[in-house]
Amino acid sequence: MDGVTPMTEMTQTKNVHVGAGSSQSRLIAILPLIVLIVLVAAVTIRQPSFLNIRSLQSLSISLAPILLLGLGQTFVVLTGGIDLSNAALASLGTVLLAMWLPHFGVGAAALMIITLTLLGFVVGWVSATAQIPTFIVTLGAMGLWGGVGMVLTGEATVQIGSSYQAIAWVRDTLFLQIPMPAILAVGAVLLAAALMATLSSGRKFQAIGLAEQAVLMSGGSTFLLRCVAFALSGLCAGLAALVLTASQYSGAPHLADSLLLPVIAAIVVGGTAITGGRGGPMRTLVGASIIVVLRVGLSAIGVDAAYEQVVYGAVIILAVALTIDRSRMQVVK
Amino acid sequence: MTQLMSSEMAQPTLQVENLTKTFPGVIALDDVSLEVRPHEVVGLIGENGAGKSTLLNILSGLYAPDSGTLKMNGKEVSFKGPRDSARAGIGMVHQEQSLVSAVSVAENILLGAEDQSLTAGWYRWSSLNRRAQRQLDKIGSRIRPTASLGTLTFAQKQMVELAKALAVEEEYDGQPVIVLDEPTSVLESDDLETLFAEIERLRQVASVVFVSHRLDEVLRVSDRVYVMKDGRCVAERDPKTVDVDELYRLMVGRESSGQFYREAQQAPVRDAEPVLTTKGLTKKGCFVDVSLEVRPGEVLGIAGVQGAGREELSRVLFGADSYDAGEVWLSGKRVRFSSPVGAVRAGIGYIPTERRLEGIAQGMSVKENVLLADSRAVSRGPFLDPRLVKELVSQWVMKLNIKTPNIDADVANLSGGNQQKVILAKWLSSPRVKVLILDHPTRGLDVGAKEDVYALIRELCARDMAIILLGDTLEEVIALSHRVVVMRDGSISALFEAAPGRKPTPVELVKWMV
Repeated sequence: MDGVTPMTEMTQTKNVHVGAGSSQSRLIAILPLIVLIVLVAAVTIRQPSFLNIRSLQSLSISLAPILLLGLGQTFVVLTGGIDLSNAALASLGTVLLAMWLPHFGVGAAALMIITLTLLGFVVGWVSATAQIPTFIVTLGAMGLWGGVGMVLTGEATVQIGSSYQAIAWVRDTLFLQIPMPAILAVGAVLLAAALMATLSSGRKFQAIGLAEQAVLMSGGSTFLLRCVAFALSGLCAGLAALVLTASQYSGAPHLADSLLLPVIAAIVVGGTAITGGRGGPMRTLVGASIIVVLRVGLSAIGVDAAYEQVVYGAVIILAVALTIDRSRMQVVK
Repeated sequence: MTQLMSSEMAQPTLQVENLTKTFPGVIALDDVSLEVRPHEVVGLIGENGAGKSTLLNILSGLYAPDSGTLKMNGKEVSFKGPRDSARAGIGMVHQEQSLVSAVSVAENILLGAEDQSLTAGWYRWSSLNRRAQRQLDKIGSRIRPTASLGTLTFAQKQMVELAKALAVEEEYDGQPVIVLDEPTSVLESDDLETLFAEIERLRQVASVVFVSHRLDEVLRVSDRVYVMKDGRCVAERDPKTVDVDELYRLMVGRESSGQFYREAQQAPVRDAEPVLTTKGLTKKGCFVDVSLEVRPGEVLGIAGVQGAGREELSRVLFGADSYDAGEVWLSGKRVRFSSPVGAVRAGIGYIPTERRLEGIAQGMSVKENVLLADSRAVSRGPFLDPRLVKELVSQWVMKLNIKTPNIDADVANLSGGNQQKVILAKWLSSPRVKVLILDHPTRGLDVGAKEDVYALIRELCARDMAIILLGDTLEEVIALSHRVVVMRDGSISALFEAAPGRKPTPVELVKWMV
């Protein structure tokens, strides 16, 4: 607290919805962490081998693509939008990478990530220019990227031959026993969180999500910021595509598509408001961890993998129902 | 009048006794007691944050008091929600209308009280309409119960609100208390007269609590006035023996005097090049051939009726809208802004009418709001320097006397006046701002907060800021401005010099407005 303002002035902070709002937001910040701890404890009790190093390593590898896509999605969701196309974009990325690896070696990864970043930017640009809800633009883009992937591959999986060596490091590198994909993903999250906390424009995504008009009327380029959020979503999709291609030895036009639901589930479970403005990368880290541990937990108690998507769908609805800031909905609509 | 005399003797309809309500860190109501007698109109005044809203929220069952009691006709009541309050005979007319526009007037009036007119979940329309008609008759309204609400004017809707509030009487045996929360804040003067007539009529069938911060109106309609300040009920006055000045002093706790607009502090504008100049500025359908200039330290007022084009002009100057012809010059350079981004970079700040939507970012802290427009002064490279941020923001919070628990508090939790100061701080903390466009800067603020804004405007002039002012009232524009431009139908019809002591009268301006 900064002893600057006189605390004796009692006349403010009233005629407000102080009560419900602040206690709810405090709960949303802590609850996901508690859920994660309880889940880990429950799974460990059922399956003590869960906490050994091998199992944690494989857990972190399956966490990586969900976390990366979730991070990208977080930027967009913070601005008040949603990117339904980022899993499909990652699928397209695996195709591009698999096709380009024989020609460009490790440069193919960089090229693919740059391409996806640009494609993400274009989606944001279209949405901002044409003033179409992101939900619709990205729904279209989702179909588009899938279609392009199908056309490029002739609807087949692209196997990677000897050129795989160029990206084998992604699969093989261990640093302090931590697999490379997890380092990439968690590193990206930590970097994003740190930048958003320290950059002078770091809170602009949140600001747009909370009050786009106010940002605009303060001379902020909401247009550019929207495009940047989608470009970052593309960048993260590119990183996810790299991780997925390395673990699958191939690229395929629908490889990452099934991640869309768990990714959105991860974000809302982590406590980022689906209406925008509140949340951030660290919450997505917690949310993605919950989703991945949940998956392991489900298989530990013998639930068929086919039910996974059922669970994700239910989790999204439940988490949003619990966390949505209804006081803001009345204002925003 | 005989009725009034007898009401003095009678059992009060509503008694509020020693009501206390606290929120985290704030005592919103502190031992408040008041009473409302039958057929009485009671005025309730107080600045924003004086506790009026909290009291009303308790009366309407939204908040439960920490201690104290409510009595209706001598019987203690307690509310678990708005329904309980209505059943006890308290009808609320909210500041912002709370009607459903897609359905009929009758459905609105009996919203939540339809039960008697339902058969197995289906409306018996005849019964519903009859019941609605009964309430409408009471206030002498000729609105048909079957009319769709969407087809009504704003003033008519307010009548429906009144009828709806009166409908509480159906479930309550006795005279209801109707609470009108700032009913006049959005009315034009004609509608105002209608409303006052309605209040007189209401008096026959109910007691009325009239909440407003327009003191003259309160004095006009009330039999008694309660003044609230800092969560307490500080005075009870008889309108016949009190004047606006005294009420103001009780409410704000300082002298009002003739210094309201700080006219004495209006310094002459020194002879300098204009900061902002427009030449023949035209936006089709909004304004035509507008040429004006504003110099450093000058307040240029723009007066005009609704639709005269001044709001559009101010938005064009800020780059929020485009224009079709003409030129804008800023500090001797021709500029053309395609969005506020350019305008802000070039040094124009804008205080919008839509404070909650375009002014502040609700959900973000005071600190973040102050830095929303320009954070270069507290940045090192692309990074914020937390120490400088705290220094700068704290400095402005003190300078503008912004009442906030700390600089990290959510700006949504501040009162309207303090939010406006945060928006001012946003522009003032930016060294590049040379021109400030104030679009109704005091709208919705109470007197005390208005005075603070006026004082600030004077101070800004002393610091060579050029100000374009679209005022809330003519008096405000005339008193604050060095020169006043009058607009009529999209073009400038007159220009008045407004030096202190030689100000034009509102009547002179109105001639050129219509």
